[in-house]
Amino acid sequence: MNQPEKQLTEKESLDLIAKMISKAKDSYHDTGIGAIMWGALIAICSIVKLSEIHFGYQLPFDIYLLTFIAVIPQIFITIREKKERKVKSFDDSYMDYIWLGFGICIFLLIFIVNSVFHVWEPVAIEYRQLTGHRSAFQFSEFISPLFLLLYGLPTFITGAACKFKPMLWGGIFCWVCCITAIFTSIKIDLLLTAASAIMAWLIPGILMEREYRVYKKEQAASHV
Amino acid sequence: MFKELDPILHSQLRLAVISLLISVKEAEFTFLREKTNATAGNLSVQIQKLKEAGYIDVVKQFKDNYPQTICKITPQGITAFEEYVKNLQSYLGTNT
Repeated sequence: MNQPEKQLTEKESLDLIAKMISKAKDSYHDTGIGAIMWGALIAICSIVKLSEIHFGYQLPFDIYLLTFIAVIPQIFITIREKKERKVKSFDDSYMDYIWLGFGICIFLLIFIVNSVFHVWEPVAIEYRQLTGHRSAFQFSEFISPLFLLLYGLPTFITGAACKFKPMLWGGIFCWVCCITAIFTSIKIDLLLTAASAIMAWLIPGILMEREYRVYKKEQAASHV
Repeated sequence: MFKELDPILHSQLRLAVISLLISVKEAEFTFLREKTNATAGNLSVQIQKLKEAGYIDVVKQFKDNYPQTICKITPQGITAFEEYVKNLQSYLGTNT
């Protein structure tokens, strides 16, 4: 049965508009699972790599290969989150493209770094044979700052666009670590990478997940 | 002289729906029902009126074997909403 239409005063109309716009803005909460997964994964990979260098052992595979495998659960997480959404905001599609672009840039950077390394490695070996000591320039020392530079960008944009300060600060933290890593050894670079992953994704992801759970509880309570 | 307020928008539920839709790209019927606390029947009627006025687009489809209704504000709806808010402000600006 139709309810009778309530005629509004001008003031009531404006209040209603403000209330509904505010409700719409508060309508989507990220589950944070993707951020938690990537934050933990990058931190673990960096720490394992650091332990390989420090303790002088080598795993039978490159630990960073796990990041390629992690793309599979990420696809499932994205599909599930999209299915659960009852509303699409204007930011959603921009955010999707920003993170997709970030993923493409990371894989391109891996390709570039490997290509440069293959060119540089024989030169470094020849230099060592001719001079009897290692070159002062170690290409591997400059890899982490390049990745940290990229980590900061989508994190900073997401934090700013979604008004989520932990991610905004996480992005800035990545860039501070990026500058620091230029002047530090590879071991410290890896520690900085792990710290950046924790600050930029793991901690914000945990906070997002908590907020999401609270939101879900409130939603469930309002339907009782 | 005051312009008359758009009668399509000057109703509690229709205005609530348009205000929600102006803030998002598109929304499911269930989302609109949740936020407006309206009954499904009443909301359907008001959505139909907004659709007939050309203020919103309504797409009916199936998602996981369940019917899904998606609503989206049209450019005409945006213009009408902006005009409505402008008129409201002119009323309040003089009255207060």
